Order: sequence, then C-alpha cells, then structure tokens
Amino acid sequence: MKKGKIVAMLLAGGQGTRLKELTKNIAKPAVPFGGKYRIIDFALSNAANSGIEDIGVLTQYKPFILNSHIGIGTAWDYDRNVGGLRILQPFMSEKGGRWYRGTANAIYENMNFIDELDPEYVLVLSGDHIYKMNYNDLLDAHKQKNADVTIAVLTVPLEETNRFGIINVDDDNRIVEFEEKPKKAKSNLASMGIYMFNWPILREYLIKDNEDKTSDNDFGKNVLPLMLRENKKMYTWEFKGYWKDVGTVKSYWEANMDLLNPDNTLNLYDRDWRIYTRTRNLPPQYIHKSSKVINSMINEGCYIEGTVEKSVLFGDVIVEKGAVVKNSVILSNSVIKKDAKVYNAVVMEDVTVESGKEIGLDDGFKIYMVTNDKVVAE
Amino acid sequence: MVRSLGIISTANIENNFGVLCKHRPVYMLPYGGRYRLIDFSLSNMVNHGIRTVAVYTGEKIRSTMDHLGDGKPWDLNRRINGLYIVPPITQDYTISRYGDIPHFFSTLEFIEQVKEKVILINEPNIIAKVDLDDAMEHFLETDADITLFYKRIHDPLGNYINCEKISISEDGDMINIGLNLGTEIDFNMYLRMGYIKKEVFVKLVKESIEKGDADYIQEAIIKNRHKYKINTYEYDGHVENIRNLKTYYDANMNLLKRSISNAVFQENGVVLTKTKDEPSTIYTDSAQVQNSLIANGCIIEGKVENSIIFRGVRVGKNAIVRNSVVMQKSEILENASVVNSILDKQVIITEGVRIAGTRSIPFVVEKNQIIGRD
Repeated sequence: MKKGKIVAMLLAGGQGTRLKELTKNIAKPAVPFGGKYRIIDFALSNAANSGIEDIGVLTQYKPFILNSHIGIGTAWDYDRNVGGLRILQPFMSEKGGRWYRGTANAIYENMNFIDELDPEYVLVLSGDHIYKMNYNDLLDAHKQKNADVTIAVLTVPLEETNRFGIINVDDDNRIVEFEEKPKKAKSNLASMGIYMFNWPILREYLIKDNEDKTSDNDFGKNVLPLMLRENKKMYTWEFKGYWKDVGTVKSYWEANMDLLNPDNTLNLYDRDWRIYTRTRNLPPQYIHKSSKVINSMINEGCYIEGTVEKSVLFGDVIVEKGAVVKNSVILSNSVIKKDAKVYNAVVMEDVTVESGKEIGLDDGFKIYMVTNDKVVAE
Repeated sequence: MVRSLGIISTANIENNFGVLCKHRPVYMLPYGGRYRLIDFSLSNMVNHGIRTVAVYTGEKIRSTMDHLGDGKPWDLNRRINGLYIVPPITQDYTISRYGDIPHFFSTLEFIEQVKEKVILINEPNIIAKVDLDDAMEHFLETDADITLFYKRIHDPLGNYINCEKISISEDGDMINIGLNLGTEIDFNMYLRMGYIKKEVFVKLVKESIEKGDADYIQEAIIKNRHKYKINTYEYDGHVENIRNLKTYYDANMNLLKRSISNAVFQENGVVLTKTKDEPSTIYTDSAQVQNSLIANGCIIEGKVENSIIFRGVRVGKNAIVRNSVVMQKSEILENASVVNSILDKQVIITEGVRIAGTRSIPFVVEKNQIIGRD
C-alpha cells in the first residue's frame, strides 16, 4: 500500500431523468451549467485543485458528450505521464459483461484498477453536484478520527430531509444510524454522496456486498449500512458552503439564477479555486448600443442587441434588436430573434426563438423548457 | 496539397508603441479582448493546414515563451514538427548585426531539414486573414519563386502614409517595394507576407551573409528581384496594419464594427489563443454597457462605452470607461473614469481618479501601475 495515496472515483453515470430535455442525449454530469461549464467540471476541478493525482471517471449512460468533454483530462491538468485521469466504462470480461448495477458495483467492477494503484484511501465522488470543496479537509478529518470511512454531510432544512439520505451521529460525529429519505427525521445532516474510505476496508466490503445476491449494490442503501452493522468506525465531516443537486428543471434554473446573486457563496471568480472546463475559443461578447444588459452572466461569443435581465447566457447566443430575455437560462448557440420575448425559461442549445414570439410570463411562476419543437411548462 | 513551413519574424518597430512594448515584442501586443497579435497569424496558418511553424522571437522573449509554450492552443505540440521557438543567439556573427537574416542563417540547418519545400513568411503586426490555400494555388500555378501578398487600399485621408507600397507590373509581377507617401489615393499595400520556395529562401540568406548586403529577408528579396520570378497575390479582405500606438488603438476600436469583428474573428476558422479559464462576465444591477467588446471573467458594475475590455477586468460602481482599451485584470475602482485611454495589464485606477487622452493620442498607462490621487 502506498502511504497517503488517494484515488478518486468519480461516478458520472447519472441519468437525471427529471431534467427532461436537458438529459435527453447526455448524462446528468454533462448538463451545461453556469454559462460555460458542465456539472461534472465542479467535481473534476475540486479534485484537481485538491491535488488529487489519480482519478477514475465512471461513465455509463449516454457517454459520448461526456467522454469528448473530458477527453484525456487536459483541461484539469490530468493529462499526465504518471497518474492522471482515466475514463472507466463498463467492460466485458471472461465472466461476461454488464452495466454497472449500483454505485458500489461500479467501484467493485473496477477493483483491479484501484488495486493497481494501491492507494491508502479511495475517495468516492459524484459528478452530479455543484459545489466547491477541498477534499483535503475531508481527508484531514478522516485521519484525525482514525476512521474507516468519513462521509461529507451538510445541514439541510428539516422540511427537506425526505429528499436526502439522513445521517444520525453521536457527540463525536460518529455515525449511529442511516435513514433513507425519512418523513420524520431525527437530524438534518444529509449525506452528500462523498465518501472517504480506507481502501482495504472498502475492498473487503465491496466483495461482501457483491456476494449478497439481494443487495442493490448501492453505497447509501447497502454497503454503508452493512459497515455500520459490523461496527466500523464511521464518521461525518460537515461541509459548509454552496452545494446543489440539480434534480429538476426548476432547481436547475434556480441554481443558474443563484449565480446572479452577488452574495452567492459559490463564487466562480475566486482565482485560487478555479473551475476548469474545455473551452471553445470564442471571441469576446459584443454588447450593442441599443442593448440593455443588467444583472446577468454572459459568456464569450454572445452578440447582444436586445435586453437581457437577470439571465445566464451560454456561448455564442444572439439576442436581436428589441428582443427581451429575462429570468432565463439560454444554452449555447441559440438565437432570440427580433422582438421575441423570453421570460422564466430554459432555452436549449441551438434553438431559434422566432421573431415576435413570446415565451413565459414576466410575472409568472412557471419555468418553461424551450426546444426547437416545443415549449413545456414546469 | 503542398504544405508550407510558417516563419514568423518580428517587425522592428517596437519604439513606435512606447511603454506597451517596453517588455514585449510587437507581435505579443494584446488585441481584441483576449488575443495577442501573433494568435491571428498562428491560427490562420494552422487553420490552413500548416503543421510546422518557426517563431523568430526577437529579444524580449519572456511573454512569448509564456504565451506560446509548446504550442498546444494551436495544436502545434506535435511529436514531429509543430512549433519551433527560435530565440536570438547573441554570439559570433549575429551579435553585431541587425535584421532577421543572421537569425535565419543560424537556423539554416533546421530550415533545410524540414520536409516542407515552401515557406510562408509573415509578420503578425499586419493582421490579414489571407486564404492561404488559394494563395498557394496561385503560387504553384504561376510557378513563381516568390509570391508576395498585397491589398489594394483606397486612402483619401492619408491614413496609410509610411506603409509599404508595392509596384506591380501589368502581368502581376513585382516591380519594387517602396514607401507610400500618399501621392496616389489608391495604392497597393504590401502585407509583409508571402510564399517563397525554400531553395530560394536558403540561397537568399546565404548570399546575403556572404555579400553582407542585406540584413532583412525583405531587403534581400528586393535586391535580387531581377534574378527570380517574383509575382503578387491580391488579398481583398480586411487588413489591420498595426505600426504605431494610434493604429493599435484604432485597430482595437475597429472591432466594434460588426463587419470588421466578423472578418477578424470568424474568417477562415476560429482564432486560437491560450485560454485562461475565466468564468463568464457578470453584469450587475448598476451596469450600463454599450457598444463594447467584453471578454470573460469581468465584473462590470459601472458604465462602459465604445471600449474593448480584456479578460478579468473589474469596473466598479459609477466608474466610467469610454473609448478605451483595458487589458487583462485591470481594475477601475468606484467613481473613477477612463476616457480615450489604453490601460496595459493589471493597472489599477483608484477611486475617483480621472484619466483621459484624446482619440488621436490615447493616454497609455504602463503595466502594473496604480494610478492614485497626488
């Protein structure tokens, strides 16, 4: 075992079905976010910024865009001679081949990969979440408690506990109970799906879990509760900061809008913790003299002649004269034609909103998902 | 397709740019919000399939090394060929000589070794996105030794005085190259760009060294014009001939015209540059932006008009930026105003301070300066 070595395993196979059109052709980690990123960029950049040198990205569901986005990890400085990033697809072996069944199974199937690297710790990450975290802080806590596994948790409002895996701890932050999406929770510490394991222990339990034919091979449901039953040293580490799991179109829209709040704690402008992504090499944005742009985030390549208010525009978006974009998220290469109005909407990539068309209401509460063929209210 | 070897050399006009070129060569001048002049040359070359490029850097090499690196942004980080950065050697013969010929001479081995049989020479302070495939076809069809590129300029106002004027015979051969003094309203401006057969290039360099009669390859071409078939190729696209502070400022301001920015940024494929991983630009409630080109990573809280704003610039509340070029990571704090000015990188204009130049003589602030009240 190589002392102190960490291997990160990034689970990037999420379907995100409730994101509808956003995940029609791509996996949830590949969903565009924040003007120029894809959701997975946050976990990848966190890992890179935390100095993690080995990372396996487990893809499965509609991986093409994700794979080409990540490539060999150049954008995150993971194109290395020693270590670096590997994309781990489900594969065939002499025992046959199959899809990853659950989160734990995905790691189990790649046990050889981890064994080869021979780490002391394995950090399990999810590519579905938007947050900035220094994984060294989690590791420090893990070492300090001499734990077998440490789970990153965050405090959620009590009324939302039914959306999360809730963890109950004692005074020393040692885990005493897991509750999966409880109606009446005893605590409001939610698991973030970020686990720091001692590899030998995790390895042992992955094998045990795999032998159990009734298991769903899921960390939250099976492996972690099993470890708890067998009295392993399991602790939580509380994360304080911005964290978002964009499960629905509405929460996707909200998370983008969060970026426009000057007090937002995600702070993409922190030069000490950059979020990296594959860039498109577009020219700067042009703001025309007939335009009005306020309270918005605009990416390279945009050409704005109309009004843009409280919106997030991705690359190469054109807003023509007299057009209004308000409270909206416009994905790359879309065109809002002359005098068209777009309120409270998520406009997909390569969409043209025709001249004079109106989408949404200025004072409405619904969010509209806009593609070239249809507009769906949420 | 015949591939050429791209050679970028630097025009010897640094003194025309004052403090902007104190620490950088002309081809490294920031331009258009997120680029350096050399990006346009390099990108146009690689977008036309050129796979080997040699950059003769001149002496102020630090910014060049940092920007070009191994050539990755232009896909020139190849195992075979790719980008060659050639810093000057200051010993032996070259030390006492001006011009590019001594540098070409010191690297003749490399030039002779590469597979390409044709050389594209160019100087990045002239931005011209020439269709290099079409020019190559002309070069090959006419079986010329050298084909020089020019653009026909209509210049009633004398904006192009002191640019190079190329005289062309009826059948398109070069007669000579001189200086435009504005005696004619229409003239042919030489773009300091062209194809030249490698064997001819090598011969010119060797002969010039031997005779000691030419310091620059352009000079050698002109001196030997009767020995070789030298013809011309007309380029009719947009040109920026950046040769002093004023033309640098104007070339930036020109990008506020849609037709020009399209020509400069879009023609023949995208312009590639070193990326900075900046997030999108944010415009706050109090932002008022009109007719401006703005790069990523900026936070705009004040007023910006008719300006070029580079990556990572901050414009504070009630601050005004008008008719100006503001380079990377500069900050204009609250209530400050910047009019008709060029701010080099990482300049800070502190609260309430006003600086202004005129459109014909923009006020230039040197890199890393903090401008406060007295």
